[in-house]
Amino acid sequence: MNRSTTVLMKIEESATVLSLLKSDLLPMEAVLSEFNSKLQSSSHLAVCNSLSMMLQEQKMLCGTERLIAFGIIYKCYSSQKPSFNPFLSEMISAACNEQLEKSERAFLLHLLQWNNYNNVKEILKQSAVDYIRSFDPSTHDFPELGELQREYGDKADPGPSSHIFADYSLKKLLHDPDVPRGCDPDSPEFDVQPGGNPRIGSGDRDEALSGLLENSTMAGLAPRWIRPCPPRYSVHQSELLWIDPDNKHELVWDDKMCADTSRGATVRDLLVKGLKMTLSPSEQEDITTELTNDPKLVYHCGITARKLPQLVEHNPQIAVEILTKLNNNKEILDEFLAALVNMDMSLHSMEVVNRLTTAVELPKEFIRSYITNCISSCENAKQDKYMQNRLVRLVCVFLQSLIRNNIINVKDLFIEVQAFCIEFSRVREAAGLFRLLKTLE
Amino acid sequence: MDSRDSSSAVASDAARDASLLSEDAAVLSVTSTLAKSALSCFQSGKFEDCIDILIQLDQKQHNDPKVLHNMAIAEYFKGGCSKSKKLLEELNCVKKQSEELASAAREQVEAVNPGTNVSVSKDQFDSTVTTLNIAVTWFHMHQYTKSSSILEPLFQNIGRLDETIALQISFLLLDIALACHDAVKFLAVFDYMDKAFGVGFGSHEENGSTMQLSSNQGSKTSSLLSSSVVADTVAESSLCEETLDYDNVLAEIAAEKRMKSVGHIPANNLLKTLSERSFSTADLKLELQLYKVRFLLLTRNLKLAKREVKHAMNIAQKRDSSMALLLKSQLEYAHGNHQKAMKLLVVSGIHKESGTSGIFNNNLGCIYYQLGKYEASSQLFSKALRSCSSLRNEKPVKTFSLSQNKSLLITYNMGLLYLARGEPLLAAQCFQKASVVFCRQPLIWLRLAECCMMALQNGLLDRSEIRVNVVGKGKYRKLMIEENGHLELDGSTQCGKLSLPLARACLSNGIYLLNESLLNESKSDRESTLSVGMNETKEASSADHGEANTNSDLKEAKGGLNQDIMQSSLSAFKDIQSREKLLIKQALLANMAYVELELENPIKALAAANSLLQLPDCSKIYVFLGHLYAAEALCLLNRPVEAGAHLSAYLVGPDDFKLPYEQEDFDQWRMNTSSDCEETLDSSTGNARDSVFLKPEEARGALFADLAALLATQGHHDQAKAMITHALTLLPNNVQATVTAVYIDMMLGRSQDALTRLKQCTRVSFVPGRLEVRAS
Repeated sequence: MNRSTTVLMKIEESATVLSLLKSDLLPMEAVLSEFNSKLQSSSHLAVCNSLSMMLQEQKMLCGTERLIAFGIIYKCYSSQKPSFNPFLSEMISAACNEQLEKSERAFLLHLLQWNNYNNVKEILKQSAVDYIRSFDPSTHDFPELGELQREYGDKADPGPSSHIFADYSLKKLLHDPDVPRGCDPDSPEFDVQPGGNPRIGSGDRDEALSGLLENSTMAGLAPRWIRPCPPRYSVHQSELLWIDPDNKHELVWDDKMCADTSRGATVRDLLVKGLKMTLSPSEQEDITTELTNDPKLVYHCGITARKLPQLVEHNPQIAVEILTKLNNNKEILDEFLAALVNMDMSLHSMEVVNRLTTAVELPKEFIRSYITNCISSCENAKQDKYMQNRLVRLVCVFLQSLIRNNIINVKDLFIEVQAFCIEFSRVREAAGLFRLLKTLE
Repeated sequence: MDSRDSSSAVASDAARDASLLSEDAAVLSVTSTLAKSALSCFQSGKFEDCIDILIQLDQKQHNDPKVLHNMAIAEYFKGGCSKSKKLLEELNCVKKQSEELASAAREQVEAVNPGTNVSVSKDQFDSTVTTLNIAVTWFHMHQYTKSSSILEPLFQNIGRLDETIALQISFLLLDIALACHDAVKFLAVFDYMDKAFGVGFGSHEENGSTMQLSSNQGSKTSSLLSSSVVADTVAESSLCEETLDYDNVLAEIAAEKRMKSVGHIPANNLLKTLSERSFSTADLKLELQLYKVRFLLLTRNLKLAKREVKHAMNIAQKRDSSMALLLKSQLEYAHGNHQKAMKLLVVSGIHKESGTSGIFNNNLGCIYYQLGKYEASSQLFSKALRSCSSLRNEKPVKTFSLSQNKSLLITYNMGLLYLARGEPLLAAQCFQKASVVFCRQPLIWLRLAECCMMALQNGLLDRSEIRVNVVGKGKYRKLMIEENGHLELDGSTQCGKLSLPLARACLSNGIYLLNESLLNESKSDRESTLSVGMNETKEASSADHGEANTNSDLKEAKGGLNQDIMQSSLSAFKDIQSREKLLIKQALLANMAYVELELENPIKALAAANSLLQLPDCSKIYVFLGHLYAAEALCLLNRPVEAGAHLSAYLVGPDDFKLPYEQEDFDQWRMNTSSDCEETLDSSTGNARDSVFLKPEEARGALFADLAALLATQGHHDQAKAMITHALTLLPNNVQATVTAVYIDMMLGRSQDALTRLKQCTRVSFVPGRLEVRAS
């Protein structure tokens, strides 16, 4: 696949190789040792690769050049066993290719040291030209391809690649002769004649050779797998971050620093208890005294508006005490009163309100809301007549007390209260309240 | 002290105590005066004066942890809130110290005077505030898990804490849960708040939801007041419908009061007023309602969110409704009504304040992104980032402006935008920055890997072409088909730090985190029964001081309704989340298999592809990819038969493939990204088009081509030829298929066909050899 072992030959190297291929008059031994001295072993593989590709094309190299090319491939791997030569299979198939010259095939068998072909050294002492000239085909017999493959095939190294695509890759050139239509590209008329004008379709073999040497890469042509890139994971609308402002989480100053915590402690503990049960008279007294001694204590005694209803139910007197003390701070008092309005109506809550009215001056708004709340509570308690009567009686007594003490101005609530009295006229206290209203009118 | 007189036995003790106290009192009065002035300096922003006073205090009260604590806070503000690490160190130090002192004091007290109330020492060395501040600091550093784990023990004992502190802890936990998308934790905290703080405002809402504690209270009342038992319970039940009116009236009163005195206070500034110990019930009610809406939006229960946001609007009437409007806008955004969302966003008015203008721009940017208008979106996000940074640089550190620093979230959005626009380098920078916040989320790792892969694709546009080297001239002209020889060079120069190994690392992070969270999920599923059990005992204990729950059944059922709604949207959200996790897992594994193939690790690629194929309910597109990657990996491992088995899963008959996925699968996937595509078509940077995935027919073509490649390597060239012909009719001009076809032609000895094929394919570039280049 995309094996990226890019081993391109340098221009100088390819020029050297080309000139070596042409040295057909020198002893081949000398040519090969010159190859060894001029090219570094690191580029051997690339050279062999290019040469093997060119050797596959019968017309690219002439006879002597082919010998030298095979010689170079042999030389590069001569220090190892023949089976380590990655180009072994190509050498074998060439040795058995009957289309090739017999001299070349014999030469290859010598290189492969097959059976009695064992005088490599002697042959390499000749020049390529001399070897071909002195070659006597009659003295040689050639093995079948199968024989050679059996001899070497099992041992053959799978080569630099190891997966099937690379294994089956083709190192083959495509012919694309650029000659006029209808002409035989193999005709020698298209070779460049020294001194002659280049004609259409003519080409220089040497130029093509050096081009091939320079441009060939290690990898061949292999079938390609389509490997689609996975789709980008879709952006769900919630992945895009919509931002809401947070609450401002500030660092908190510790206001208990150096605060006198000992005094409030007992009161706080008692009050926590007081949210759950009625306190004993002495405990109630303790709280009252402490609250009187320290007027600020009420602000950090642990009772908040939200806890107030619980306190009212269990210890109405203490609740009154605390509410009275809070009278100075209107804002906080409002909070507490709001809690009082909102809590469920009960004897205790009415008791607290009633007592509170005598102790401090309450906001009119609050009293009004509270009374409306009381009245509507009665009206809504329809399910159980008996209970309703009890509730109505309680409210009537509460209202009478408020009116008698001049806490409320009857005029403000006249219509509402009158309607209430008429609705519940069957209750004795309601009738009494109605009479009281009439006398005040 | 009077109380002591009542028991004469301890009179002498009392006298001694009193004399001691009077001595102490003198010191105390000096120090408490100093403490008060330190506080007022702190509140008015005179941090240097404040520190001076604290130093005096420290000399008087040597090593008092509370003094040291406040000193650390003041120093932090003095330094412009920049040295968070140092603050954390100091606070941790203080915490440790006070814990040590507390245990020492407890031992001492118990040794000297067994059975005495130890509340004094408990108060003095209480480290709750310190712990809260540590959590707050981590929160602002976006370390939500740390912050949450620190708050956890406080939350366990929250009933014993001061109300203000309890509220602060609860709100912080809610915000953490929202930031972490942790709906479970959110609901746990919200339930508590509902019970603990929902009491005062008799929350008889129109939907009939009632706070449970109020009913408990009612019944307790009835059991104690024997005389009017029945009367009260009747009154109580009859009250429910009416209370709403009072609520509204009160809200209005409070609103009017606030409007006159303070002017414009953003609704969510509740905690600011908390420190002054007074916050209105109505404020709290609105706040809780807003959080409820946020929970419903988080859990994507849009239907209910719509109803609840309406309710929030009602509560917020005549008050500041910006937050409610913002949530309404978010709701419309989630519905896909972008115009409406935009209108509401503007109406909310949050852009008018410097603190929230960044948030406004970000949200508007989100809307434009959904509309596919990336240019506008990008400008808005940058604007948002700018206003965030200017907020950070604001000199007088009045508020803790870090808390509104949302720049990392905006940066994440920016990253998504760059990715959609096909700019992987910039996108990756954004994701890397944002990873401070999101590093525990698998998705960000997937996104980073996508950046790497996109960069690679962008850098390697050449790869989508066939390069043919033309060597020689005339009769010697030869063609050499090149096999991606240039891949690494281009890749490494253009992609900067992004690389396939980085993609691999990111993906394995993502997979690890996802597996971890899936594991936790299954664990918490098992534990959930346990936690419910705990809740029940809690409820029982809160109810046990109202022993006889005679008449409250009806109301509890109502309260249950409210909880049920939230609980059911929580479990629906859990389903959504686990479905999404599965989708992410598919994507992660598919990408992993792809990257491993690119990195030539067929063994790992095969493992990833196999785990992808083993996922339950895997989408068809990913199943297709899984088969394809597995088959290729098997080929690379020289296991062609198994590879063939993967491909033949799609075979119908001996030589035809069915569509690996339907058009609707494809559309479903495209629908989510459709807005991405709209813009890319007419935008100048067409790179994002790379992300357009194979259509079903094309996928079928890929199957043909890959089977052809496989057959070709097995020597079945004739069969391969038939396959590749199919492939090329479905995928004309596909590079890989063309190469395979050329190969098969040549193996069949039909080099002329190969030549024609190459010359006809539009994606072949003929590159002249080097010599020619030099000559010309």
